[in-house]
Amino acid sequence: MPFSNATIFIITAGLLLGFAVGIIMHRSDYCVAGMFRDLFMFKKVFMLRTLLVLASVSMLLFEIGRRSGVLVSPFPILGSPSLASFIGGALFGVGMVLAGGCVVGTLYKMGAGSLVSLTAFVGLIIGSGIYAEFHSVWGPFIKATTFFQGKITIPQIAGADPALFVFPLAATSFYLLYRWFKKGELERRSFVDGYMQPWKAALLLAVSGFLSYLFAGMPMGITTSYSKMAAMIEEIFAPEHVAGLAYMKVLSLNFTHPLTGEVMKGGPGPMFDAIAVIQMPVIIGIVLGSAFSAISLKEFRVYTNIPQRQFWAALAGGIIMGLASRMTPGCNIWHLFGGLPILAVQSILFFAGLLPGAWLGSRLFTGFVVKT
Amino acid sequence: MDDKIETVEVDIRGQVCPATLLVALKHVNEHGSNIRNGSMKLVLKTDNRDATVTIPDSAVNMGYSVNVEKKDNFYSISIGALDAR
Repeated sequence: MPFSNATIFIITAGLLLGFAVGIIMHRSDYCVAGMFRDLFMFKKVFMLRTLLVLASVSMLLFEIGRRSGVLVSPFPILGSPSLASFIGGALFGVGMVLAGGCVVGTLYKMGAGSLVSLTAFVGLIIGSGIYAEFHSVWGPFIKATTFFQGKITIPQIAGADPALFVFPLAATSFYLLYRWFKKGELERRSFVDGYMQPWKAALLLAVSGFLSYLFAGMPMGITTSYSKMAAMIEEIFAPEHVAGLAYMKVLSLNFTHPLTGEVMKGGPGPMFDAIAVIQMPVIIGIVLGSAFSAISLKEFRVYTNIPQRQFWAALAGGIIMGLASRMTPGCNIWHLFGGLPILAVQSILFFAGLLPGAWLGSRLFTGFVVKT
Repeated sequence: MDDKIETVEVDIRGQVCPATLLVALKHVNEHGSNIRNGSMKLVLKTDNRDATVTIPDSAVNMGYSVNVEKKDNFYSISIGALDAR
């Protein structure tokens, strides 16, 4: 099939950015699931501080990009907030703790050879596939509980210039970060080879998010592709069933690619559309980047002697995360690295849901998986 | 004296967070008195990069001495009594 220039450009950019993100995350072990889990399980906030680095730097970069006219804000796919964003966030929180990594954490750990994360990845595809079965019920629920119809971000709701919110918030964050930095609370001692301090990783991830926004027209997001993968696999065995599912016909992306002016459309259905072009290279890139990093440090190895319970937890966690990312809709990377920095209410609700979810996930983990 | 120190090796390679830290802490607590009185050293083998920070941090907070070493393609974390090397 002949690829347009925009398609080739986006695929190349996605692969390269994903590859870089895979290396960055592996070197720093930038685990978002761990940040929230450690807050509740071990009362540790070290990694969560670096999330503020990522969110506040992204906020500033996205706003500068918007003001200078290179970024279109808000970006596509984001919708008006609904109760589903919070419920999805909470479920996602439970899932990521059980799975031992979020949707991206699962990818970089899998790339480094983790069988537990590979199991979570399978769970993610299964969960995303299951969602398609009850989208006909959940879709109307999202619609019925949507508020601020037609508005996506806080500045839109307030009818004010985003700068009024962004600059004071970024300034406050930078002040806090500066204080932590001076006290040495943003760095930690590590014994591993090739370690990257997580705050540096956060800075690089913010730049990666900006580049994704610039090249693909939106920050990084990958979970619609999990539905697509589920649909593609399901189509082999039950093509009529897949064709009959309403969710497969959803057009979640329909936008003009800012750099090329090309109209791009896509959804979760089992075809190679704009969603596949934008998301799949990033997924492949992250796995390859992390594998490259692990191999170059001579740390790539697959271990099998792992308690069975941990595999079951990863599978269940993956399924829950897959479901939750479709119910929200959107995953933690999409909302925390992308939506939160432009103050999308959907993303703020998702973040609020993650907290009780990660708490519950931590309780379940210590209650059933590794009993303490 | 060194030859009297029993070494207990626990292989947690392949496990991801938080299982790595939880399993490590379980073993540390289980052998706590022996490690403290210097008759035992606990050696944890892990390939989880994050665990090479979190396990030593927790063990040091609990009053143990910790040493991390890279072996071939994994990390070996040994936990012993503060005054025993």
